[in-house]
Amino acid sequence: MVMPVSRSPRGGRPTIEGPGFLARADLQVLFDLLREDGRRLIGPTVADGAIVYDDITSVDQLPRGIGDEQSPGRYRLRRRGDEQLFGYVVGPTAWKKWTFPALIPLTRSTHDGHKVSFVPEQASPPKLAFLGARACEIAGLAVQDRVLIGTEFIDPDYMVRRANVLVVAVQCTTSASTCFCTSMGTGPEVTEGYDLLLTELDAGFLVDAGTPAGRAVLERLPLRPASTAEQYGVAATVAAVRARIGDPIPADGLHDRLLAQLDHPRWAQVAERCITCGNCTLACPTCFCTTLTQSTDMSGNAALASRSWDSCFSPGFAKVAGGSFRARPRDRYRQWLTHKFATWWDQFGTSGCVGCGRCITWCPVGIDVRDELNAIAPPVPLSPESRLVEPVAATPNDFVTAKVVSTKSETADTTTLTLTGVDPAFSHGSTGQFAMVALPGFPPLPISISRFLADGIELTIRGAGPATKAMCALQVGDQVGLRGPLGNNWPLDRAVGRDLVIVTGGIGLAPLRPVLHAIVADRRRFGDVKLFYGARTPADLLYRDELERWAQRDGIEVSLTVDRAGPEWSGRVGIVTHLFDQAAWDGSNMIAFVCGPERMMQATSTTLAGRGVSASRIHVTLERHMECGIGLCGHCQMGKYFVCRDGPVFSIAQLGDTFGREGI
Amino acid sequence: MAHAPVAARPRVGVVKFASCDGCQLTLLDLEDELLSVVEHFDIVDFPEATSARSAGPYDVLFVEGSVSEPAHLERIVELRRRTRFLVTIGACATAGGIQALRNWGDHDAFRMGVYSNPEWVASLARSTPISEHVAVDAELRGCPIDPGQLVELLTALTTGRRPQLRDEAVCMECKRRGVVCVMVSKGIPCLGQVTQTGCGAICPRFGRGCYGCFGPREQANAAGLARHLQMAGDRPREEIGRLFAGFTAYSEPFRSMVTELGGARSGRSTTAAAEPAPRGGKA
Repeated sequence: MVMPVSRSPRGGRPTIEGPGFLARADLQVLFDLLREDGRRLIGPTVADGAIVYDDITSVDQLPRGIGDEQSPGRYRLRRRGDEQLFGYVVGPTAWKKWTFPALIPLTRSTHDGHKVSFVPEQASPPKLAFLGARACEIAGLAVQDRVLIGTEFIDPDYMVRRANVLVVAVQCTTSASTCFCTSMGTGPEVTEGYDLLLTELDAGFLVDAGTPAGRAVLERLPLRPASTAEQYGVAATVAAVRARIGDPIPADGLHDRLLAQLDHPRWAQVAERCITCGNCTLACPTCFCTTLTQSTDMSGNAALASRSWDSCFSPGFAKVAGGSFRARPRDRYRQWLTHKFATWWDQFGTSGCVGCGRCITWCPVGIDVRDELNAIAPPVPLSPESRLVEPVAATPNDFVTAKVVSTKSETADTTTLTLTGVDPAFSHGSTGQFAMVALPGFPPLPISISRFLADGIELTIRGAGPATKAMCALQVGDQVGLRGPLGNNWPLDRAVGRDLVIVTGGIGLAPLRPVLHAIVADRRRFGDVKLFYGARTPADLLYRDELERWAQRDGIEVSLTVDRAGPEWSGRVGIVTHLFDQAAWDGSNMIAFVCGPERMMQATSTTLAGRGVSASRIHVTLERHMECGIGLCGHCQMGKYFVCRDGPVFSIAQLGDTFGREGI
Repeated sequence: MAHAPVAARPRVGVVKFASCDGCQLTLLDLEDELLSVVEHFDIVDFPEATSARSAGPYDVLFVEGSVSEPAHLERIVELRRRTRFLVTIGACATAGGIQALRNWGDHDAFRMGVYSNPEWVASLARSTPISEHVAVDAELRGCPIDPGQLVELLTALTTGRRPQLRDEAVCMECKRRGVVCVMVSKGIPCLGQVTQTGCGAICPRFGRGCYGCFGPREQANAAGLARHLQMAGDRPREEIGRLFAGFTAYSEPFRSMVTELGGARSGRSTTAAAEPAPRGGKA
């Protein structure tokens, strides 16, 4: 899903024989050449306790030997103890200050009797050279290019300013704790979008050109050919930067994960810390929101409309006559985060974030988007406790043999097998996962794990066809082939502190049984827990002893129903949704786990939605034809998902309109 | 807010309550615009500028200062009656001013301690903003008010448009001007995040933290800022309370911070204030 921002092949690169070497003492030559070409030079310099970008004319203005320390809400300069001119990480200034200025005049208008006139302001920007642009910053410029001049409607002011910029990029040889370009696919290596590229070494710079304009400058510099050792050294340094940054935000699937969490309680929590001051948005190199301001003279006949940077965090930003569309701070935080990391993709085909970390450093109260994203939209697995472990048997043709140590007849056609000698990965397994179960001569079948034991698992199997009947017939001492645990889990960590409703029928209770075990083991962490369970007849109810214990002892509200009652049944009769379709719940803090036939799950989610349980909080487990269980055989594909590998547990929001659709 | 010019050549008055006159002087200091102001507005009452007096009525009345004396209570109601469009100017009028710090103290003890003949001094136990007593049509914040915002209000009045007085954090102005955040880069506590803009970020531009003279902005998360300063800066509660105990201390939510954390009086413990009456009548 997440791709690097605009990683098109480098266009128009001239044929050159590798980069040249420029001695540090000769860097002023580059300054002078750029100025001779009529360019104002914008580059790094120390001011007000930070390395900012500003007009410079001399190498002496560069932050020689100065580095920085950055962490959430904190920035300090430090002496490096060397002569490096670019030994710092991105500071408070973004280049948009020159390509997309904070305040520009837009339109002059006049009123003369009945006549009005509007005259657009024309920008005549100076020719600039950006000295010291980093990979993430070049990506930032590319993002604004997409937004402001990449569609049929263009921002003419940005276009003329942007066209006048020559980019002299600098490779990162250091990083800050706030960097995450690696996760956003934008750095740390500069690979495109530059006219000239400098890499700082101990005694000077490797210089390379990326465009004819850059080449024209390069050819006038006093260069010697760079040695192979110098070139390898550079690659190793940048690789070390990449390794140091790591991968703080697993970006794979982030778009969908984030949009599935619009109701996450963390939005309200972060809003208590967030001051909604807007610093993050104005420090961001890609944020482009603005506001028009009208000013008039005392006569009211001449007016000027100006455009200035604005922020979706300001209360007035989404205001209309009747009030604000995003009245609460949590709404505004959610708007910002989901736009940057999700809906920006839908609008512009890129991420809105380039991983520069400015929003983290320059947040006065130190809110770290990486923490918020990992809390709100964590990568699967959903919590450290449920981290899924690679099984020993990880290929479609491999199985670990396990031994049946007990069998229990649950109903006329359903048996629970207790197995030991299983793959050690099962001891790290999690609720909702399944195993591929094989007997020689039969196709392997996906079977939900109905209990996790210290040294084994339980499988509850309904003898519906030849293979499952053979499994139900296994005796103590028999062996069976297992591969697993496979698939994802019920997002039980999302249920912590919330009310949980579980709706299921028949054999569908098996994959939910470990959920109930986990809740009972740590009952106080959950709110009200309701189990609605239906079966064909009273004799078809699974785990009857446990159902009673959950209800009597463990504080679970258990409601049962059957399709056909016998003389001894005094409970409810009818389909499972009838157990609660008259209930007057407040579902705003409720999460739902549902397992059953797809029609039943659809009816259930519709009923739950009517109680205020949103689609991102209703989770279902899907059944599909599976042969490999690991996304290789293709049988279980559903839309963009392999049910075995991406599921089997999905939220209704994730499934969208594919859920319950015939023929998908 | 007016949507048509308030009058052809509006009759303007400038009056004061408990205040230092600095905000009124901002009007006189509009040197470049002054002739134009006089051309478009009929200034009928302005003691700092002219000895001519008027009893009203006023199309526009600029009110400076807080309600601080018993006589103020009737006077502001009477002025409101004679005014079409009432504008409060400055931290005293809009928030109660620095003198509202007494609202957390013992009024009688102050009077006895400061004046040799306290019976000659008529003052109220609390200093309160004008909006606590009468409806206010517009307010200009700050100590003193910003000349740019004053011109914006005046030009808006002549054309009948809504004045563009942004309700956003001072931080926005810092960022637009490229001011390096003093809190992040120097660890200086700054109220800019919770304070309404309009000053042009003048304090951070000179390397110091904002002390909130424009008062809390809409939905200011003062509690969030206070929590952060306590945790990140390892600062005592009273020191953080004192940050909020400035010219606009009596405006919520700064007021709650001062009450909760202390800091209205340095040194000795504060006397609990009577629960302040709700601010009302703001148009």
